[in-house]
Amino acid sequence: MKNRIRVLRAEHEWSQAEVADKLGIARQTVNALETGKYAPSLPLAFKISKLFELPVEHIFDPDSVEE
Amino acid sequence: MSEAKQTPRERTIARRYVWQMLLLMALYVVILLVSIHALKTGHYSPIFRDLIAITPAIPMFGVVAAVIQFMLSIDELQRQIHLEALAIAAGVTAALAVTYTFLEGVGLPHSQAWWAFACVDLTWALALPFVKRRYE
Repeated sequence: MKNRIRVLRAEHEWSQAEVADKLGIARQTVNALETGKYAPSLPLAFKISKLFELPVEHIFDPDSVEE
Repeated sequence: MSEAKQTPRERTIARRYVWQMLLLMALYVVILLVSIHALKTGHYSPIFRDLIAITPAIPMFGVVAAVIQFMLSIDELQRQIHLEALAIAAGVTAALAVTYTFLEGVGLPHSQAWWAFACVDLTWALALPFVKRRYE
């Protein structure tokens, strides 16, 4: 699933490790999210939404979901 | 993943897991040696003898508890990666067990079931990098 996490992270000048620490997840997970290799669960998506203070649909592109 | 790329939380979880495994393995060796010595030197009732014989399995259940605690400590993607690798390990172990059972049917010696524990651990570790690669 495409998303704007990498862009938002860059805007906040955070490293992947910093985002991982803030979300309580692994750095590898942040990388997998950014590259679209992994679609997060609803609770994690809301945590990401809360971290960047943006609605979920402004971060994740629902039209890019792969079957 | 190198330690430098890990967050402090990841490092804490990994260190705790490694220490738990080392302690449980050490405990297993000690209990195994003591139980073997006790069975060789003492005379016990059948029930007590059986109880002594199974005492080395106690740390093995500790390993299962440590794995469960580890799984519950890591994030959802890491858990998915480990569970996929564990599913492969379980499948490979089951397939090897069935294969060897066929060989026992044509005269190979009867195997002891303990190898299944080591086989699951080994194939889990081998499958992990391949599963991880899918998410990189």
